[in-house]
Amino acid sequence: MLTILIGVLEQGLIYAILAMGVYVTYKILDFPDLSVDGTFPLGGAVTAQLIIAGVNPVLTLLISFLCGALAGIVTGLIHVKLKVRDLLSGIIVMTALWSINLRIAGANVPIFSKESIFENKPLDRIVPAGFRPYLVLTILLIIVIIMKIVLDLYLKTKSGYLLRAVGDNDTLVTSLAKDKGAVKIVGLAIANAFVALSGCIYVQDAGFFEISTGTGAIVIGLASVIIGTNIFKKLTFVKATTAVIVGSIIYKACVALAIAAGLATTDMKLITAVLFLVILVISGDRKRRVKKNA
Amino acid sequence: MKKLLSVILAVTLAAGLLSGCGKKEGNITIGIGQFAEHPSLDNCRKGFLEGLAEEGYKEGENLTVSYENAQTDGGNATQIATNFVSKKVDLICAIATPMAQSAYGTAKGTDIPVIYTAISDPVIAELAKEDGMPVGNVTGTSDKLPVKEQLEMIREILPDAKIIGILYTTSEANSISTIATYKELAPTYGFEIIESGIATAADIPLAADNLINKVDCISNLTDNTVVNSLPTILNKANEKNIPVFGSEVEQVKNGCLAAYGIDYYDLGIQTGKMAAQVLKGEKKASEMKFETIAEASFYGNTEVAQKLGITLPDDLVKDAREMFDTIADMVK
Repeated sequence: MLTILIGVLEQGLIYAILAMGVYVTYKILDFPDLSVDGTFPLGGAVTAQLIIAGVNPVLTLLISFLCGALAGIVTGLIHVKLKVRDLLSGIIVMTALWSINLRIAGANVPIFSKESIFENKPLDRIVPAGFRPYLVLTILLIIVIIMKIVLDLYLKTKSGYLLRAVGDNDTLVTSLAKDKGAVKIVGLAIANAFVALSGCIYVQDAGFFEISTGTGAIVIGLASVIIGTNIFKKLTFVKATTAVIVGSIIYKACVALAIAAGLATTDMKLITAVLFLVILVISGDRKRRVKKNA
Repeated sequence: MKKLLSVILAVTLAAGLLSGCGKKEGNITIGIGQFAEHPSLDNCRKGFLEGLAEEGYKEGENLTVSYENAQTDGGNATQIATNFVSKKVDLICAIATPMAQSAYGTAKGTDIPVIYTAISDPVIAELAKEDGMPVGNVTGTSDKLPVKEQLEMIREILPDAKIIGILYTTSEANSISTIATYKELAPTYGFEIIESGIATAADIPLAADNLINKVDCISNLTDNTVVNSLPTILNKANEKNIPVFGSEVEQVKNGCLAAYGIDYYDLGIQTGKMAAQVLKGEKKASEMKFETIAEASFYGNTEVAQKLGITLPDDLVKDAREMFDTIADMVK
């Protein structure tokens, strides 16, 4: 039972960083950003290649974060400057990244034998053997908390407020003589930076990069955001970022339970879809309901 | 409605929690994770269970098998591996490279042994060291294609052919490494290799049309996406009278002219016997070198040969492991 719990928490926390990124685009910017399916493996591809080249695993966190930001900027530029619809901009970048990721890393890159943020010599020296089973979880928890605080702090800055304003009422931003396009690009950069960081950590935990892991990343992100924000809807003192992290863990717990209940992995996508729908219905987070309430 | 749905969700999850906790005593439980669904890998799995049965582990009697297929999705593979580890199975059998890597990565901190099969190169996949010894509690069998023998065979069947075409998926690591071997060995037999990479199954019709106009014959790898779309390739090649060579028995059965390949069922049996040694406690997975099938054999299809107007050389047919005189229903 404990192993299942630790597994769920680990997976939940890895995807929590992705979910925070999706939260920025989906909830704050109101931008359905599909480039996530490409930036998640982008972070992984960059990380695998860097680790093989002997780069310090901690440094890969920063580099993949920046690569993700770059990809987000591209989505933003396509949308804002070339005036391509939001959904399509994301699809274009996601499609391009499939090839780029293959160019960066190849289809399958194992890094089992290399050092990672979870397994390295300095850690071996300080961590007692009895603590080993909880090591990955602890490191993840530290990273997630840091990223959460960084995002919370950012959202309180002037730039952060503008980001919220663009999502809620973009004419307000224009009336403040600010370029709403630039704000969107910043938002997409931050979101995809988080997503790529999540991919970086995923690869270091799994011990290998595999091109197909990005498929469906956006669904996991969206589900986590929707579960989290709806559960804590009435508890206003809980920050949205915290809610999203919890949402990600709950989502992974549901998946683990579904599999434990004997449902085949083949049906995974169907289960995800049903779960997704049920949550949307329960929470009333649907277009029709929103309009009726308004 | 909302309340009803909440209740249904809660009950389903609770039921899941309970049903996940049943494990019989004195019974061996293994988890089989397979990366994709196609005949070679299916044969591997069947062979694996046969190999275990020959050693006294029979499914339904003293062996509980839980089988999951990742449907070529890396995320699913991790999920499957995590599930097996949480269930504390006695052994994980992982079929194909990404599945084996997920299983090894997930089971690393536990004492669950991982036995893999259908991996082209366990050393490149970092599951074994240069000397063939495992990197951890993980071992199994490799399905490295006998490329040299395949090229010799093509030369013997088609003495005048110059260019061999190969279709492969750019995201499949096994295919990329096998193509490198093809390119290295081809000049020795007077061949040139033209490869055509695809991203998804949807690219195959165009890629095949393009390739068929440039080559004298096509040789298949064990590429998951390409093998799944074999009928498309065969139909297009047949129209231009271009022979297509397979890489194992199922492809020949389904309409390839011939193959010099390994039998995945045999590979599975060999893997199953290795797993049995581990389950009996005779050896530890971490102490066993990975194994390959020593000899590849010839497979031919006489109906295909007749249609193409080619006679399969007698000395090949004489030593054939299996000859087919019809094309299976998959292509007609």
